[in-house]
Amino acid sequence: MIFNSLTFLVFFAIVMALHYAPFFSWHQKKINLMIASYLFYAAWNPPFVILLWVSTVVDWWAAQWMVRAKRDGTRKAWMLISVVVNLGMLGYFKYGGFLVQNFVTVAASLGIVYHPPGWDIILPVGISFYTFATLSYTLDVYLRRSKPAGSFLNYALFVTFFPHLVAGPIMRPTELVPQFDAPRQAKANQIAFGLALLTLGMFQKVVLADGFLAPVVEAVYDAHGQLPGMLDSWVATLAFAGQIFCDFAGYSTSAIGVALCLGFAMPDNFRFPYGAVGFSDFWRRWHITLSSWLRDYLYIPLGGNRHGQTRTYAALMGTMLLGGLWHGANWTFVVWGGLHGLYLSVERWLKSRFKGFVPGRGSILALAVLTFVLVNITWVFFRAKTFAGAGIVLKGMAGMQAKPDPLIAYGPMIIAMTIVTTIFGTHVAMRNTTLEAVLERTPSAAIAGIWTMLLFAVIVEQGQGSAFIYFAF
Amino acid sequence: MPSSISHSDAHKAELRGVREGALPAGLRQTAANRPGQAQPVPTRDIPTRPWVGIGLSVLIAVTLLTGAWEWNARANIELRAGDIDDSPQAWAEQRRLADAAPVVIIGDSRILFDTDLARFQQLTGIRPIQTAIVGTNARALLESYANDPNFHGLLIVGLADLSYFRPAGVGVGGPYLKNFEKNGKPSQLSGLWLDRFLQRYLAFMDAEYRLSRMVPRIDHGWRKGVDSPYEDVWKISETFDNRQYFMWGRIETDAYLRGHARHAWNLFKGPPLPPFIARNVVARSAEAVRRIRARGGEVIFIRPPSAPELRAVEDKRLPRAKGWDLLVSGTHSQGIHADDLPQAQRLVIPEWSHLSRKCAAVFTDAYVRRLVQLTARLKLRTDAPPPLSRADCVPQNIASL
Repeated sequence: MIFNSLTFLVFFAIVMALHYAPFFSWHQKKINLMIASYLFYAAWNPPFVILLWVSTVVDWWAAQWMVRAKRDGTRKAWMLISVVVNLGMLGYFKYGGFLVQNFVTVAASLGIVYHPPGWDIILPVGISFYTFATLSYTLDVYLRRSKPAGSFLNYALFVTFFPHLVAGPIMRPTELVPQFDAPRQAKANQIAFGLALLTLGMFQKVVLADGFLAPVVEAVYDAHGQLPGMLDSWVATLAFAGQIFCDFAGYSTSAIGVALCLGFAMPDNFRFPYGAVGFSDFWRRWHITLSSWLRDYLYIPLGGNRHGQTRTYAALMGTMLLGGLWHGANWTFVVWGGLHGLYLSVERWLKSRFKGFVPGRGSILALAVLTFVLVNITWVFFRAKTFAGAGIVLKGMAGMQAKPDPLIAYGPMIIAMTIVTTIFGTHVAMRNTTLEAVLERTPSAAIAGIWTMLLFAVIVEQGQGSAFIYFAF
Repeated sequence: MPSSISHSDAHKAELRGVREGALPAGLRQTAANRPGQAQPVPTRDIPTRPWVGIGLSVLIAVTLLTGAWEWNARANIELRAGDIDDSPQAWAEQRRLADAAPVVIIGDSRILFDTDLARFQQLTGIRPIQTAIVGTNARALLESYANDPNFHGLLIVGLADLSYFRPAGVGVGGPYLKNFEKNGKPSQLSGLWLDRFLQRYLAFMDAEYRLSRMVPRIDHGWRKGVDSPYEDVWKISETFDNRQYFMWGRIETDAYLRGHARHAWNLFKGPPLPPFIARNVVARSAEAVRRIRARGGEVIFIRPPSAPELRAVEDKRLPRAKGWDLLVSGTHSQGIHADDLPQAQRLVIPEWSHLSRKCAAVFTDAYVRRLVQLTARLKLRTDAPPPLSRADCVPQNIASL
């Protein structure tokens, strides 16, 4: 089920009632939470719960045997078993069709005609997220960064805990398992603030992303046979920048709010990313839990910046290309990751070339705008389903369409650009602070007024219960 | 020293993870600030504000605003509770019933609006399963039933010629077909039931009254060459249980809305369809019909009426002889064309494409009485009500429509 559904409202009310019921022990409440989390996941496709069980059991035992092993080889073997099982499931369900399709293409280029059977496999929702979450457990134990969880129930609840299960934030066991040790009871103030965050997340998703931005994006990116000009291409791409942020950050904010209502703390996943100055700054602000996961378990093991310039650039590119592929089984995502890898490499080179450069306020704003523009170019590959589609939009952005078709009506265009400008302005203005710090300085009446308008907008927009974009990743 | 994720190690300050009072800027760290290490329990800071009081005031204010919104929906827009939206999930629900059903309807919006399921049942004792979809090529639906080995019933294919003979594309129903399995999953079903329950009591939940449907309609054609949201078809139907569509009452009574709907259709203008497209469509339809018959099923085509203003354009782009007649003969099927039903002439078609609610019953009465003559799968009940006629649905002041 998804947060922006009526089903979730009923589900969440029941979970809250059970969580705060005085007659359950903490042990029983954790079992309740785990059952609720399985129901949350099974609501999509019940059989896929088995994948969660496999991942949970394999990683639990792999970590247990790792710490009992006397030899490094044995430890490594258990780590590899965990990696192979987790990435094997991910590979089969997410990349199987992609691999077969590429094999057929390569074979055809060699003159070999191969007709594979149809790869009609449904992608289990959130598999990329929980695979990374559980992998971090065995990898942390293998790297001796943490000890194994003391209780199977706590570990299993970490894997399945519904607020983060299907679209993150990608939590590490060290962030969540300790929170299951002692009873969690949020105070009324915390619950109310959690509900405010849930409202903010829903507003971003239901009203902004789905209601006002998605139609503008679709008018260009799904305009079959029509060629967008410069205005339409830029507006649609900027609208997508707003849509993907509101969609994904909306989910993360909702998840943090839901967890807070239950008394649990989840990490930030977004920090006003469009206010970033440069790409390393962008990745410290965008999907933080994924970028730090890739850094800790891919970039650093690949050598990081410890083995000279060439190796550093290779590690950077490799990490970003795989990061791109994580988002979807399509070469367009690889190019998206590759572009970010290229940006990061160029930035790294520029920083080493101009070490003494200290930007003033004007330069910071100019660099923030430049970063935002360049990030938007990468979004074209993220949104377009094919390279041909991406090419059409990029050509439009460059003003090179000979006879462009007008595709977006001015009304929706003005609304979308107002939203995106507001998002960008807010991110730049708040790049050095937090939402909480700002709220603490805001009069209660103003907070109440804003919260009222957000909630009312969510109610009257209703939403179509459309899935979050990142569910497909 | 490795971080612990067990109870034995005490990090009491971090274990709570929730802190009253906002952290000063720069102190709320994320994993981005801690490379290559086990991440500790994150800290969530709660701004020092009276959140409970704020929340209660928000609850009161939102309740009042929502009440006002509901009042506006009922009093000014004339929406009403019980008009339940159609949805891909509602369609999937009916589609799952179709395999075991003796009679199933597919098609575009015309057969959807123009069939009164209750009248059908009064006449035959069978309530058909309605799986037509607005703005959808009925041929795609026909082919989906042809591919379904479990379907053995009578398939009524209602069609608007220009929709059925379109060169490519399924239309609105594309995602309905693609996501059919997904839309039957538990989360989708529970959402459907809850939504339906609420819509029985709340008028404002009409999809056409959503914020993002209403606000962009301020654009009355500001940009040349682009269809503005205002020119899109807005609300023209009401939906009841089992996907029973009828013309929305206001289209029949409000000249402005009726005119807007007519304007939105733009008379279905376009170039004439090349003959090879019709031949291709007929060939594909014939194959689909053959496969359904091979399993013991049956297919009958129905062409509901359109207003003379629209019909003139339709005939110009695809004359009956080159479309409908070719389809019926090419698929070796029975067909019922509105032109051939004496009781279905000069009915009320307020926005030129779909019948008024009362006339839908008359048209249904007319075509069902012809259907029972064409197939042994349906019989007229002995206690069937007497035939309806134009007089049963055409108001006295017809000129104003």
